[in-house]
Amino acid sequence: MLDFAQLQHQLQGFAAYQQRQRNVLQEKLRAALETWTAAPEADGLREQVEAARPSWLVAQPLSPKLQERVPAPERPATVTVVAADGSQIFPNRHVEPPCFLINVGRVAFQLGTLEPPVLESIPRFYYRQEDLRDLLDDRFETVSVEIVSALRDEQELEALLELAVTAQQEGRPLVALLDGTLIRWMIRRLHQRDLEEQLIGRYVRLLERFQEAQIPLASYISRPGGAEVVNLLRVVRGECASSPPAISLEGLPDRLLFGRLLQPGERSGIFLSGSHIQQAYARPHQIAYIYLAVPGPYDTMEIARVEFPQWVAQREDWLDLIHAVLLKECEKGQGYPMALAEAHERAIIRGADREAFYEFIGRQLGQDGMMLESSRKQMSKRRPVL
Amino acid sequence: MPIGEVIESNTRQFVAEVYRDQAPPAFGSWVCVTLTGGWTLYGLVSHVELGSTEPGRRPMALGRTPDELRREMPHVLELIRTTFRAQVLAYEDPQGRMHQTLPPYPAAIHAFVEACPPTIVQRLSQPYDFLRTLVQSPDPAVPIDDLLVAVLRQIRAGYRDPEGTQALIEAGRLLSRLLRDDHERLEAILRRVT
Repeated sequence: MLDFAQLQHQLQGFAAYQQRQRNVLQEKLRAALETWTAAPEADGLREQVEAARPSWLVAQPLSPKLQERVPAPERPATVTVVAADGSQIFPNRHVEPPCFLINVGRVAFQLGTLEPPVLESIPRFYYRQEDLRDLLDDRFETVSVEIVSALRDEQELEALLELAVTAQQEGRPLVALLDGTLIRWMIRRLHQRDLEEQLIGRYVRLLERFQEAQIPLASYISRPGGAEVVNLLRVVRGECASSPPAISLEGLPDRLLFGRLLQPGERSGIFLSGSHIQQAYARPHQIAYIYLAVPGPYDTMEIARVEFPQWVAQREDWLDLIHAVLLKECEKGQGYPMALAEAHERAIIRGADREAFYEFIGRQLGQDGMMLESSRKQMSKRRPVL
Repeated sequence: MPIGEVIESNTRQFVAEVYRDQAPPAFGSWVCVTLTGGWTLYGLVSHVELGSTEPGRRPMALGRTPDELRREMPHVLELIRTTFRAQVLAYEDPQGRMHQTLPPYPAAIHAFVEACPPTIVQRLSQPYDFLRTLVQSPDPAVPIDDLLVAVLRQIRAGYRDPEGTQALIEAGRLLSRLLRDDHERLEAILRRVT
């Protein structure tokens, strides 16, 4: 129960506070834009960063000119777009026996043709110790939310690769898309070195297979929170120096900066991510990105971040293709790529399905005379006493 | 060649989904479903509906021609389906006798639904008892008079003239009695048949 009367009092200062925060950000943005315009070429920037040795994550510009802007290219009349997304039912501590589910949704569209789309959901149910043999030394019960999430990300990538290979048509360009980041920094949260190394190794091997199959892979991030490019500007402004400027750009996200720099439809230059986990990836598979100005409904614009392995970044034609495809997909999807939205629809497990899932496995067990047991706490949540 | 499949069923009516490559049946036309044991149910199509296959996803205005949709957003068309409701008003028993009344058993879920040829009305004629069921226990969601107009049209079209006109007159006579001499209402129906 939420007491709105009490909450009301606490909200008194909310709007005023937000306004002040907004003003501060605007000041930082102004300062950032000045630094941006006057910034040196990529080589000069690299030297500055090496000399300054900042503690925060800094983007490494891969385009010769920092201020590069590329207008929207024309999308080919026919193109294959493949996308995947994943969802899960996490192991529920209050349910016995322990088990979990990963659901991957994947789609393939042959755009510009009358060929039928592929729209698939692939569920995978885990309950056996052997299924996690490679990853888990402990009992199955100890499988954590982080491990399930890492497994899900891996399965999305693998399912995407498989579909891309089968959907590929001779002479027709193809793009493979994922939602979210390709930088697996969250793996470090597992705090188990061996497990982390294994997961990263498997992930990079999947990226290698994409490269072998020559399939351009990219991921799309709506409303990105990164600040690596701003951090680069902080170095240029001398924020690492002994007497830093009065205003720090800390707290300013890249998307606000590029919101001012890019025209609708344009993409920025390419940046290599400074994320520490990149060091675990072999060079060609390290993740680079661009910022993209996506037009939305009613003349709005959103800055999205598009990530890809470096071997994709090296092909100008692939970047143009990804750029054009994403813009067209966002047009059809009211500001978010349609193919990714469909993959998401195939993956998502809604409340009713979740309930049906527990009922389903309960019945399976029931056929063998067993019961799906819930903890007392779980049952009291289901039927709160009046 | 079945046009669809039963997805909901009870004694009085069934709902069927139309197969993607088939055309839906016309309002007021007859469809039939065969049960195991040799029974055939005859239903009068009282409602045809287009909608989304997935709950929670509804069609929205997209501003694109059908061809553009097929090429750029094909899933949108895949997720639309046509369903129809048919009121079960007659059945044929395993001996081939036609009974114009509610059947003993409802249609099975997933049973195939076929469209009846227009001449089926010749087997669903005098004494037109199905009209009685239709008028006295109408489907509340259906404008009964409009359905009657469609039914009468089908009756006339199911014969070569002058039998068609004759059949229409016979049906009209029963209808007049069923509508309890509501002349205005009967006239409004008959006017729309011709």
